[in-house]
Amino acid sequence: MYMNKVWRLAAPWMALLVGLWSSQADAGIFWIFDPKGVMADTNLKYMIIDVLVMGAIVGITALLVVWFMWRYHKGKNRGSYHPEWSHSNAIEVVVWGIPIVAVGFLAYFAVKGTFELNPYNPTVITKNMTPQSQRVDVDVIATDWQWLFVYPQYHMAVANELVLPVDTPAFFRLTSTSVTSGFFIPQLVGMIDVMPGMRTKNALYTTHVGEYQGICSDYAGAGTSWMTFKTKIVPQAEFTQWVQQVKASPKIMTEASFDRYAEPYINVHHRVAYFSQVPDGLFDHVMMEVMDGKTWPIPPMMTENMVAYMAKQSAEHRD
Amino acid sequence: MSGHASNNPDPKTAVLWDTEYHGHDVISTRSLGFFMYLLSDGMLFATLFAAYGVLSYQHSYFGGPTPADFVKPWYTFSQTIALFLSVLAYGMGMTALKRRSRGGLINGLLGAFVLGALFLVLDVHDVMDLAAHGITVATSGGTSAFIILTQVHAAHIFFGLLWILVMIYQVLRLGFTTDTVGRLLSLRMFWHFQAVIWVFVYIFVYLWGYMS
Amino acid sequence: MLVDLPGGWNPLLGRLAWSQIPYDNPILAPLFVAVVLGGIAIVALITYYGKWGYLWKEWLTTVDHKKLGVMYIIIGLVMLFRGFVDGMMIRTQQAWAVGPDSSGVFGALHGYLTPFHYGQVYTAHGLIMILLAATPLLVGFMNIIVPIQIGARDMAYPYLNALGLWITAAGAALIMASLFIGNFAHNGWFGYAPIFEIQYSPGVGVDYWMWTLQLLALGTTLGGINLLVTIIKMRAPGMTWFRLPIFVWASLSANIIALTSFPALQVALGLVAADRYLGAHFFTAGLGGNLMLYTNLFWIWGHPEVYFVILPAFGMMSEIFPVFSEKPLFGYITMVLASFAIAGVSWLVWLHHFFTMGAGPDVNSFFSVATMLVGIPTGVKVFNWAFTMYRGRLTFTAAMLWALGALFLLLIGGLTGMMLAIPAINYMVHNSVFVIAHFHSMLLVIVYAVFGSVIFWFPKVFGFKLDEFWAKTMFWLFTGGTVLVFVPMYMLGFMGMTRRLDYVFNTNWHPYLLVMEGGIVVYTLSVFAFFVLLYVSIRDRVKNRVGADAWGTSRSLEWLTHSPVPFYNFAVTPHVNARDEAAWRRANGIAAVQPAKYVDIHMPNNTPVALYIGALTFVLGFALTWRIWWLCLASLVAIIVLMIVRSYRGDPGYIVTAAELERMEREAIARERQVDGSAGEPVVGGAPAVGRPAMAYERSDLPKTSTPPSMGPGAHH
Repeated sequence: MYMNKVWRLAAPWMALLVGLWSSQADAGIFWIFDPKGVMADTNLKYMIIDVLVMGAIVGITALLVVWFMWRYHKGKNRGSYHPEWSHSNAIEVVVWGIPIVAVGFLAYFAVKGTFELNPYNPTVITKNMTPQSQRVDVDVIATDWQWLFVYPQYHMAVANELVLPVDTPAFFRLTSTSVTSGFFIPQLVGMIDVMPGMRTKNALYTTHVGEYQGICSDYAGAGTSWMTFKTKIVPQAEFTQWVQQVKASPKIMTEASFDRYAEPYINVHHRVAYFSQVPDGLFDHVMMEVMDGKTWPIPPMMTENMVAYMAKQSAEHRD
Repeated sequence: MSGHASNNPDPKTAVLWDTEYHGHDVISTRSLGFFMYLLSDGMLFATLFAAYGVLSYQHSYFGGPTPADFVKPWYTFSQTIALFLSVLAYGMGMTALKRRSRGGLINGLLGAFVLGALFLVLDVHDVMDLAAHGITVATSGGTSAFIILTQVHAAHIFFGLLWILVMIYQVLRLGFTTDTVGRLLSLRMFWHFQAVIWVFVYIFVYLWGYMS
Repeated sequence: MLVDLPGGWNPLLGRLAWSQIPYDNPILAPLFVAVVLGGIAIVALITYYGKWGYLWKEWLTTVDHKKLGVMYIIIGLVMLFRGFVDGMMIRTQQAWAVGPDSSGVFGALHGYLTPFHYGQVYTAHGLIMILLAATPLLVGFMNIIVPIQIGARDMAYPYLNALGLWITAAGAALIMASLFIGNFAHNGWFGYAPIFEIQYSPGVGVDYWMWTLQLLALGTTLGGINLLVTIIKMRAPGMTWFRLPIFVWASLSANIIALTSFPALQVALGLVAADRYLGAHFFTAGLGGNLMLYTNLFWIWGHPEVYFVILPAFGMMSEIFPVFSEKPLFGYITMVLASFAIAGVSWLVWLHHFFTMGAGPDVNSFFSVATMLVGIPTGVKVFNWAFTMYRGRLTFTAAMLWALGALFLLLIGGLTGMMLAIPAINYMVHNSVFVIAHFHSMLLVIVYAVFGSVIFWFPKVFGFKLDEFWAKTMFWLFTGGTVLVFVPMYMLGFMGMTRRLDYVFNTNWHPYLLVMEGGIVVYTLSVFAFFVLLYVSIRDRVKNRVGADAWGTSRSLEWLTHSPVPFYNFAVTPHVNARDEAAWRRANGIAAVQPAKYVDIHMPNNTPVALYIGALTFVLGFALTWRIWWLCLASLVAIIVLMIVRSYRGDPGYIVTAAELERMEREAIARERQVDGSAGEPVVGGAPAVGRPAMAYERSDLPKTSTPPSMGPGAHH
């Protein structure tokens, strides 16, 4: 009686959830299930292995519990009652055995996957490379709250937009000016922390041309939610053309202008900027400066009133 | 429970209520609790040592002075001796307690206080001296770790000294009661424990820092 | 030596100034008025009914572990509500501020919370839920139940127990003060280095966060020591280690974790304080600091803390399942081993909170495998609960429903936990809302276990049952909320949505965020159901009164004493003969046998000192936050002086005479006989009732189980 009522109330909500899932499941918005690069592919592969193994165990356990609940319901007289039964060596062996075997099995894949996706040397990418292989290097400098992508091979930099040629492995070095943030392109490569005064690495390789969303995955302060960037994977020819376009930009980045650039700025309007010239070693310069104690402080209560702050930011001609 | 039925006594003859039971010995219960506190204090120092370990690489001093430049091993050795003698004095006081000699205990506590205070004065003088040479917590990550670790230990010594004073007063006024004796035993554990910690501080922070 | 601060400072008030009071904030100002009016109303009501004396004598100065436990639980429930409101604000912001076209009010570009305020809300939500809701709720239950389950009269240190409570209350007060005076931290409840450094968080928010955590850590450490010593030293005769109720084992393993891990938190935050106050360079990016050190130190505490809260919840489930399966717990020894295995492994897994920080693959592999090891004992526990139901006789009371809900949530949390344990998967979902959904699944295991326990043990503490209909209604509404909030959250995780977004840039996520908002509405209904539950149950309290064995199928020792439990717990210390003593006595028809005679008992006195010290720690925390140095010194000195004075006076305690005890026991038994006649004819004082064999409790030839307390210095040598 009571349960019927519960089901009647719950049913429409459940239908809504299932409906949401099925209406959009194949719309490609499940980025993790729709990987477009080797790194993300591998992530998904391990996820499937893990969920198959654990899902089988968890599913069977859940069914077991439900069956016990049904069978031993007091007053229904479906199963026999043994008031003192509380030990069985056979069952003990099974309940310890199953998790041990499962964990042992998954541990193998955990270790294997960790080496395959090691951000410093992802073997899923590097095993197919020779020293002569073509590659793109990108130095990623996170500021409060923008991304600067320096292309040392081309002595140029782009703010808040990452453009890479297809079928070419890209290698990132990452650092930050002020606080810890995270570099994440869900469909291409997993997260890596970006820390001030330190250098982390990551890499990606893809055969899919397209535009993918990049996200700042660690909380870095007020502008984090707007600290996104588009990642464009383009054919080689188009990439060369794009490099020309950047090189034609009148803007240049110097060590002094970087100082100003790195001041707190909330990129609400998704501003993208091209810098046709960048001093060599800007990445190391920034890292060394931070290690020497340089900070880019944030004014107190900066975004207590966001509307007022945006007016101030515009007044400083930084939009 | 099939296993436990056989171990259970016969319900017809079992004892169900125990009017003779009066709980555990007060002093041993308190000592156990204080020992637990010392365990957590040990974890506190272990964490500080870990932080010091991480921040004692060459680059942690950031080109500034390192312990090799500013540690005075013999000066600190004199601190070590002062603290050890203080612990010894405390121990002598406790043997007097066994003889129920209030005078002996007070003498031991006074000795422990004076020597402990000497340790603290030397320690504070050392930090002031470092500050006069521009070495403070703000100098570099390495000096931050060095000074905070040693001064957290010094803070423990300060509160230990305060406790010794309180105990001298309480023993004089209250004599040997369950409360005061229990506290004297806890304080003994505390004082010995701080000396043990100091051994680690002296060896791993002062000497090791001086040598490297 | 002190750092230079942005903004003003004066010697009298520190950083405090009128401008720090957010009287112009459209959310906080009305709330402040409401709080003040509510406070005035409560004070007026207490005065009107003349309850100040009662409140002072029976609650504020009490050292009774049950009353302290009840106050812990009240703090926990109040803060659970505050944390829930924070959660509601987060969900509303995310359901509103989606896409560049969404509107904004109150100074926000989108939604109604600016980034600065949103950061404070989710930081407060996290900190409150784990340290001011989960922890006090569980500590409260341990406080109430553990001493009764082991047959003790009180905790080992009743005064220390009160001190722990009032320091926890001071922590709660400090975080509440941050609502109306100044602001709170925006850096997440665990904080990131170096965003909490003074350059990036120049306000007092981080200081509030830091000192609140310090106070709570102190309170929990004191409570942990107390519970450990209580369990080791205060067990009734016959209560051997392997007769301990499983909840006591869970408390023991949990408090070993608390005792050893909280110092790491205190050090980590102490070093943050050194950075912020003295200009040290522990966690700065430059000048030799190491920002990864903070994250390591924090999670060296943080992960054991997770097990500190989940293990007692497992213990609660292990108490509830057998009672409503009418059968002993399956695999008792295994359960004990599993608890300690979890506690042990909890020390080796902290790095899985930051696989993405860029450690080498060998390090990540080690912590990955260590993390998966936790799955083994946890899996065993789940199986053992299942086999406790197997061959049982299940009654689906509200308490059992909550426990079952916890079990199913644990399965989901376990599945997703095993995903996160593998770095190759973790890289994709580490800072996404998938992680949020995972650890909410796990923390909801605690919430479900706690609500199950509230229903399960309420009659023991207050003497009447909670209303089953409303308890079940609340359960189903709460479960509906859980499904509606966390299923879409898992889905959003697979869509790549990261956590802590105050503005959602992807409009594809909007429908899911709206469903979650609907889930919050359902959760709100369950909160109302809880209030109705309390109201209806208290209204019908006479009808719902229970005897000693409230459920009729209870198993452990606490169900032998009266409901509500008298302040002395047991008139005469019980002698324990079996693992499930209450079940054993019931099975052998001797559950109603009362002691043949009473003896004087010794009880601790009430004291206001713990309350004073708690209040002073609040003042100290507040003064440190606002850098009012004279007040810091004054409150610190006052605390030390109070401690010294209290130690000089000591507590002689007082004696409850055998005659008084007998009178109170007679009343309690008479009351219970009215409630359930089945309790039979209790045997009090005189000869056993006709038809029963003579009981051994009258025999004098048995060996004495202990010696009287020793006094004086010679005793321990």
